[in-house]
Amino acid sequence: MSLYEIRNMAVSIAGQRLVEDVSLTVEAGQCTALIGASGSGKSLTCLTPFGLTRGVAMGSMVLDGIDLGSADAARIREARCRLTGFIFQQPLTALTPHLTVGAQLQEATMQAGAARPSVRELVRQLERVGLSRADERLDQFPHRLSGGERQRVMIAAAIAHNPKLLVADEPTSALDASLRAEIMGLLYQLRIEQGLGLLLVSHDLASVEGHADQLVVMDRGRVVERGPASKVLSDAREDYTRRLIAATPRLHEPAPKLSRPGEILLETRGLGVTFDRPGWRRGKIQALADASLIIRQRESLAIVGGSGSGKSTIGRGIAGIGPVTEGEILWRGSMLPERRKRSLDMRRLIQPVFQDPVASLDPQWRVQDIVVEPLRNLRPGLTTAEYQEMARVALTDVDLAEEFLARWPTSLSGGQAQRVAIARAIIASPQLLVLDEATSALDPLVGAGILELLLRLQSENGISLLFITHNIAAARRLCHRIAVMEDGRIVETGTMREVIGHPAHPATQKLISAS
Amino acid sequence: MLKPRFPLVVVLAIILLALVLPFLLPWTYDQIDWDAVRAPAFSGAHIFGTDEIGRDRLARLAAGTRITLMVAIAAALVSLVVGIAWGATAGWIGGRVDEAMMRIVDGLYALPFMFIVILLMVVFGRSILLVFVGIGLVEWLTMARVVRGQVMALKQRPFILAAEAAGTPSRIIMLRHILPNIAGVALAYLMLTVPQVVMVESFLSFLGLGVQEPLTSLGILVKEGADDMDMTPLGLVLPGGLLVMLLVCLTIEGERLRDRFS
Repeated sequence: MSLYEIRNMAVSIAGQRLVEDVSLTVEAGQCTALIGASGSGKSLTCLTPFGLTRGVAMGSMVLDGIDLGSADAARIREARCRLTGFIFQQPLTALTPHLTVGAQLQEATMQAGAARPSVRELVRQLERVGLSRADERLDQFPHRLSGGERQRVMIAAAIAHNPKLLVADEPTSALDASLRAEIMGLLYQLRIEQGLGLLLVSHDLASVEGHADQLVVMDRGRVVERGPASKVLSDAREDYTRRLIAATPRLHEPAPKLSRPGEILLETRGLGVTFDRPGWRRGKIQALADASLIIRQRESLAIVGGSGSGKSTIGRGIAGIGPVTEGEILWRGSMLPERRKRSLDMRRLIQPVFQDPVASLDPQWRVQDIVVEPLRNLRPGLTTAEYQEMARVALTDVDLAEEFLARWPTSLSGGQAQRVAIARAIIASPQLLVLDEATSALDPLVGAGILELLLRLQSENGISLLFITHNIAAARRLCHRIAVMEDGRIVETGTMREVIGHPAHPATQKLISAS
Repeated sequence: MLKPRFPLVVVLAIILLALVLPFLLPWTYDQIDWDAVRAPAFSGAHIFGTDEIGRDRLARLAAGTRITLMVAIAAALVSLVVGIAWGATAGWIGGRVDEAMMRIVDGLYALPFMFIVILLMVVFGRSILLVFVGIGLVEWLTMARVVRGQVMALKQRPFILAAEAAGTPSRIIMLRHILPNIAGVALAYLMLTVPQVVMVESFLSFLGLGVQEPLTSLGILVKEGADDMDMTPLGLVLPGGLLVMLLVCLTIEGERLRDRFS
């Protein structure tokens, strides 16, 4: 008998069916991964049977012999406390900020009715999840820990009462690639050692590959395909699954066809950024040091690194929306002045695209006004009809229909919003786009569509791209060359093939082995 | 949005009555009816009776509500304009300028407000204008803090950075990107400021520092009623009840707005 089995479950919220006919099983010591785009109902599917959403679940959900479908609230609560542990996406918000790590672990241990744990026991729990200097950690508050450490504490708290089933809702999506590999490794180890069943929810196929025994693919509230992971990956029956697999970037897929670079377009020499510490405190923070790189015409350069490596800082400096304190930027061989001193025409040449597409569009503006905004400043004096025509052309360039002109940003999906943001960036015919994690917040299928769009724009319009990302596999689909960053410095540069084939720097090796 | 909004309806009804009643009643708020001094309620033409010198209670109630609301709305608007200008400037420029501007706000917060108002009254005599100045001095501080926080949060949003990269001048970014996006929150706090000002104005009037007789406000009416409450409790209950109802309804509406925008 399986540890946890869902058969023909449906979830509805306020009378509306959001999930239908879902079946899945989790075996003890094994991992079942639930994959789907945002809004596909995967979180509802795994949280509702335990009474953790507003939804109502109908059907048969049997956890270790207890039917959660027919049990009353108290019994569900008991099953939740005793048998299950939960890990959520945001480790900072999932930990209570005013309680120390030790206090939270203690609470987690005692929730299933266990006795108050001794300090030694708490230390052992932290050591079990691979946290160093565990005895010091007990007295620390969550904000003192890094993202990876917080997620380890989350896991320690989730398994403190020795549950049989661990439900992990996007446990690694907020983490770096290298941290992600570590956390997944830890979960694997716990599964093997303790016979935990793991129900893993993710939007990213790449992050569960190699970890999941069973794969369940969901789309729009239904299970599209399920089966043993290796079989689904190698021989998918459904079209949706095949598209999802094709959309997920991999390091060792065939090289993409890229345009041929031309002359040197932009060059930075010894670029550095130091901030004063905020407030009245003394001291400086060096966010970027001695960064030198070259971008040619029609070339894509990837800047890859973990969070805090300074990759966004360099992008913002080049795009003229962030400070540059040292070094110089050359545009076609001549000095590019500091950001506020750039002429309108200089600003036109370099345009940014941001990670969060919805936040990068002013919610109070219509799509038409958003797209036209650069033109109004950079080419004033055109008539409204001319602006409108150019907006229409720009939307066509990013594969959006004309009717989007009248829409408000809040009514757009993530992918549509990112296309509008790209339309705004290209409308004034720039020569360089700075893409700061432009596909990271999107679902894999949507992100792959944006990558294709960028490739097409490059081959048609000859734009150069600066593609800033933490995902080296996604960068490989688009870029000619790569620069790897760590701690504010560029540690390795080269062509995509060289760097991936023969990574020289430890940071590069870590990034590659993690993806 | 069509569900019944009881508090809003009450507020609107009170405002409407305060505006319309003077045209319907045969009495003005300062007119003395020598034949009916201290008339009880529902005696003859005086629906709520008259006060101790024979002025119609209902007419005075309407006049008092009018003055109170006028002071409140004007002071709230002043606080809106000054608060947004100050807070947005501090938040947008940031750094040392922001620190200095916000320390000024903190300093003003620390001043004993009643003391200043009394000083002003003593030096310049009582007038509606001074009530405005006194109240306006205090109420914009909160607005400035709220707006500054909003602007600082907005400044980091990618759409502002994108506008900057698109070459939009700071002035236009402020007017067309930032102000529309803080309008909702500012409006909500405006709604919450109005009852606060009503409260402060009534308090000042109750102490005898507000508007001058024969002009009246809810605070003055409460004071007069309180002086005479063992004889005619109606004189206290009417303006007091109206004040409470107004405050409660305005606060509920304001908090509803605030919850919607934040």
